[in-house]
Parts: sequence; structure tokens; C-alpha cells
Amino acid sequence: MATIEERVRKLVDDNLEVDGQPIGPKLELDTHLGEAGVSSVDFVAFMKVVAQDFGVEMSEGDCVDLVTLRALIEYLEKAGA
Amino acid sequence: MPFMRTPAAEPWWSPFRTIGNAEVFHVDLTVNAAREASAYAWMDESEHAKAARYVFPITRRQYTLLRGALRRLLCERLSCDNADLTFETEEYGKPYAVVRGTPAEIQFNMSDSGRHGLIALATHGRIGIDVEERSDKRDLDGLSETVFGVDEQAAMASAVGQVKVERFYRLWTVKEALIKALGTGLRLDVSTFQVPAALLHGDPSAVFRFPHLPAFRWWVEDLGTADFAAAIAHEMAPEAEPAVSPGAPAVRGEQRQA
Repeated sequence: MATIEERVRKLVDDNLEVDGQPIGPKLELDTHLGEAGVSSVDFVAFMKVVAQDFGVEMSEGDCVDLVTLRALIEYLEKAGA
Repeated sequence: MPFMRTPAAEPWWSPFRTIGNAEVFHVDLTVNAAREASAYAWMDESEHAKAARYVFPITRRQYTLLRGALRRLLCERLSCDNADLTFETEEYGKPYAVVRGTPAEIQFNMSDSGRHGLIALATHGRIGIDVEERSDKRDLDGLSETVFGVDEQAAMASAVGQVKVERFYRLWTVKEALIKALGTGLRLDVSTFQVPAALLHGDPSAVFRFPHLPAFRWWVEDLGTADFAAAIAHEMAPEAEPAVSPGAPAVRGEQRQA
């Protein structure tokens, strides 16, 4: 069974790119998504995909601080995803 | 040494629009090594460190060209030396300019997308700006459910093809300009307010009030071109007496006051 990190990374690979390049391979756990080139509209779209995939409710207020993979994974762990 | 010797480069920004006391500049973010070197030389050590953290060359270039242009514009407007100009942030991260330790008497905001950057400067009133290169690759219907209110979703549902793409980015840039002007960013759920009905129906500008902050009026204007969607939100001077009560709808069709 895939871990939360593996599932999140798969979603990154499937959904996030910058200038046609996938950002997944260059994304460390503590890389700020903004510094990886993720725009606000892509950030909102990605969080929607994550919420759907993990079956959790995520308001924009919840998401705004989840700007690294580590923060997102920890949030999902606490949410019991 | 916080700053390097500044190499000469022709400005890569140009006046784009003037709206009330706000000036908007377009910043050319296309590849240009001389401009990037010039911009980099204007940045301080913390900005160099931030640039180094960018994962992709394109986003590093966007940040550098925009930051260099911002510094040069602010130094010009504030008649200050670049070495005297620093930046601080408000509670939720909105930056403001500081000159020799004192907050500067100028408001600014900036945005970038692809090859285009916009910088807005204003002598008073909070200001926010957003630019987005339009893309039909995003799930616009899915996003609309997340970020738009009922009337906005209806407007999206009635559009197809390129009209839908243009409508989405028009509405999104207005909303993002507003939350940037307010200084909350995405901490404020953008589905909890709707763009003014006039803008929804195609007018280029309107007056807006956040439902939870009805005392403040914002001038919002569509700045989109064939190349990009963009919008500005600028806080208007206070009215002599409150015109609306709490809970009044955010949609207004007022004319801008001087």
C-alpha cells in the first residue's frame, strides 16, 4: 500500500508542472511550492485534487500554510487520511 | 557588500496603465541575460538567497527581473538610494517598502505569469494586482466550483471554449487582486465573495466591498489584453458616512469618486 508521501508525490507528478516541465523530480520535502513555480491558481487546483484523492475536507484557510510537501503530508497524517 | 556594482541595461519595464493615483508598469520577463544581470545587481543579499532557492531557471528569472524593476521604480519614486531600500512584510506576508528604517509613503504590489510581470504603485490606498497567462490546460470547471460564488459559477456554466477560458481568468484575476490588496492572500476563501455584477457582465471596472468589510470600497478594473488576463484592486478614499450596513451584498454599480 502506498504511503501518504508516495500518493502525494504521484499527485504532484500528475498535476504540477512549470513551463511544461514536471516539478516533481526537483521537489524536496521542504521546497516551498511557490519557489518551485507553483502559481496561486495551480496551488488551489492542486489542493482540490489532494482533498478529493484523500477524501478530506480542506478549506482554503487550511491549505494556505501547506506550502511544502512536508507540511502537506503532516496535515494529511493528522487528518487521518 | 550588500549590492554589486550596477551594470547598465535599458529598462525592461514600461508604463502600462494609470488608474486614479495608481501607476501600473508592465515588466518584460522574457529571456535577456543583460537585463537579468542588471536586475540581480540591484537586489540585496536576502533577495539573492531567495533567487537561489527557486527551483527552475524560468521562475528565478521572473523573480529577478520583477524585483530589479521594482527596486528601480521605487528608488525613482522615493528619491532614495537602492542601499537604503528594504522590505518588510505585514502579518500575512504582504510586502511593503522601508527606506532607512521608516515605512515608505507608497503602496506597491506585483504579479508575474510566464513572460509578463505587472507592478502597481500608488501614493495612497492599499493596492493589489494580478496577472495570469491564460491556459486551457487547467480544470476550469473544477476550479470554478472551488473558487467562485453562485453567480460567478453560473457565468462560467453559460460559457464554452475560449469564452470560458477568458471569463475564468478575468474573474480569477479580479479576485486575486482583491485578496492581495487586502493583504490576506488565500487566507480569505475567495468563494465567499463575488466580483461586482458589472464586471461579471462585461464592464471593465466597478466598485467593490468585501461582505465582511463593508466600510471599505475598492476600485477594481480589468487590465487584460490579448496576451494575458490581469486586474487591479485599489482602495478608495473613505466615504464621509457609511453607505451600507453589514451584511449588505458586495455587488455595487457605483461610479468611482475622484
